Amino acid sequence: MGNERFLNFAIKYGFLILLAGLVIFFSLSTNGFGSARSAVFILQSVAITGILALGVTCTLVVDGFDLSIGSVATSSLMLSAYAMVVLELSAGSAILLCLLMGAFVGLVNGLLIVKFKVPDLLATLGMMFLLIGLQRIPTQGNSVATGMALPDGSTAEGTFSPAFLWLGRHRMDFFLENLLPVPVVIFLLIAVGIWLFLGFTRQGRLMYAIGSNERAAELVGTPVNRYKIMAYMISGVMASIGGILLAARLGRGDIASGTNLLLDSVAAALIGFAVLGAARPNAFGTAVGALFVGILLQGLTMMNAPYYTQDFVKGAVLVIALVFTFYLSSRRSAGGK
Amino acid sequence: MLRRNLLKLAGAATLTFGALPAMAQNAPAPFDNPGDVKIALVRYLSTGDFFQSYLSGVEQQAAALGVDLRVLDSRQDAALQADMVDQAIALGVDGIIIQHGLTESMKAAAQRAVDAGIKVVAFDVDVENDAIPQIEQSDYMLAKLALDQAIADHGDDFTAGYVYVPGIAPLDRRDVAWKEVKAANPGITEAAQFGTLDNPIANAVANQARSVLQANPTINVMIAPFDEFAKGVKIAVDEAGLSQDIDIYSADVSTADIAAMREPDSAWVATVATNPAVVGEVSVRALALMLAGEDPGHNVVVPPTLITQDFLNENDVKNMGELGSKMPQFQHADVATADWIALPAR
Repeated sequence: MGNERFLNFAIKYGFLILLAGLVIFFSLSTNGFGSARSAVFILQSVAITGILALGVTCTLVVDGFDLSIGSVATSSLMLSAYAMVVLELSAGSAILLCLLMGAFVGLVNGLLIVKFKVPDLLATLGMMFLLIGLQRIPTQGNSVATGMALPDGSTAEGTFSPAFLWLGRHRMDFFLENLLPVPVVIFLLIAVGIWLFLGFTRQGRLMYAIGSNERAAELVGTPVNRYKIMAYMISGVMASIGGILLAARLGRGDIASGTNLLLDSVAAALIGFAVLGAARPNAFGTAVGALFVGILLQGLTMMNAPYYTQDFVKGAVLVIALVFTFYLSSRRSAGGK
Repeated sequence: MLRRNLLKLAGAATLTFGALPAMAQNAPAPFDNPGDVKIALVRYLSTGDFFQSYLSGVEQQAAALGVDLRVLDSRQDAALQADMVDQAIALGVDGIIIQHGLTESMKAAAQRAVDAGIKVVAFDVDVENDAIPQIEQSDYMLAKLALDQAIADHGDDFTAGYVYVPGIAPLDRRDVAWKEVKAANPGITEAAQFGTLDNPIANAVANQARSVLQANPTINVMIAPFDEFAKGVKIAVDEAGLSQDIDIYSADVSTADIAAMREPDSAWVATVATNPAVVGEVSVRALALMLAGEDPGHNVVVPPTLITQDFLNENDVKNMGELGSKMPQFQHADVATADWIALPAR
């Protein structure tokens, strides 16, 4: 019996204990890891992937998957830069444009999956390639920056407005002066928002119902299609927010495929399955998963570990998390009941 | 010098007024009838500002010569790139520029082209063939000039953070210069080495650099021999509030980089760059020389230029175009030229 209790305990708290252990280990073995400022820049390093991961979580909840988030984020990065630098729009309209773009991409993804019956992985894979190409067409493959040459021979005169850069660079006073960067605040707000939405609202619970048994959910009268489309739209909007914050931090529209953003955020969401033994997508787990990867990577960087060990470690964490989720949980349900 | 400028002006004028490319009267065959000359650019890498700019250089020089340019882009598919060389042979081109690629996959293909009587030049890929000139931007010199500037500013006694990802050919060649400088100056210590090519690179490097700065408060110089690295380091330095205390030295330049270097109190004090468009122009000119039966030499090296923050501020340079006009050695390399080759309009 003691064995089973230990197993349950391990499944439930194992990951959080591991996280605490890591923090203690890095604090002891490096200079300056254990400080408020380190905590903040670790949060900053995971804020953007974390926001994307929260979007993916919503599609995972309805048993879907969104491969296009990385490219939605980089498209939104390019779009915001293009809107301000080339079209000389205000920060507000640039942001609005990006959010609309994210929602629209989500809508198209959803319609492809629901109405045209394209499997989710394939539909969003197609969308990913489409966006990677599309974001380069307006600038003919160049990055967007003030002063860039335009196809008609003139130069772009617009600039990133200070209000926009504020989103990525401003730091709020919180205990210490200039401590909390805005992206971290936005990440935390979104995490709490998605957590409340998925766990405590009728809509969120219906989405879980769709994910565990679509047919049953349909038979009790859930508008399954509408909820699925909504999940992809949330995912698209989250990804576009991620892209906006990225643009505000970089201060230019760099072309990028966003593949790493996609992989990192999917990893965070999957690691999240293991947190508290949930064995299903959940917002709290996703946020912790993102944080876990962030702590590991920043800690390793401070210890001067080369970049390839970081990919290895990321992979190892993911595999361990998946074992937690699938193997231990299956033992629990087999033995416990 | 004056004569060349006049020539350039004349060329520019003809182009600006929409006339046909400025053609010298005494061009040797086959350039007495340039419209019949067909050349192909076979690319391995194409995504990004550098490659975009390289392509524009190739296009402009080809247009100035009046030759027919075909661009074959394998998008990082090594096997496809080799097939594309065969495709170009089948198209009956007179000359081929191989831009990047892998020695293993391109060596045989390049030899097939030479056997077919086609003139070939290679940029940044060693195809191990004596008949094929190598166009190079000297990555070693790029890093060396940046490091010399760091030593000029800080003496031979400073603590550096170094951004590097091994296994990437140009970065490896730049790394050689850093290793030499470290060995020659015991006062220079490398407190930390980091780096990643995770996309978007600047963002990923910024996250790493933030940790490195926290762990190593003694760092006062950052060596980031690739502009995406430098951009990331600058973000981290700004976020840590250290822009007054740290100087960043890098390589490569773009319009966005110029803006970042010129921000108030920017820590990014110098970069060294070769203009990729100029490398593209040189590639076409070297090929043209070969087609006309002249010898451009086996190694055609395009020299890099040091660009400091002070220079940019003093001359109020805002983009690549202005950098070219304020810094003539950046706009044009006096490499692989001939009287009969018209230079592109500026």
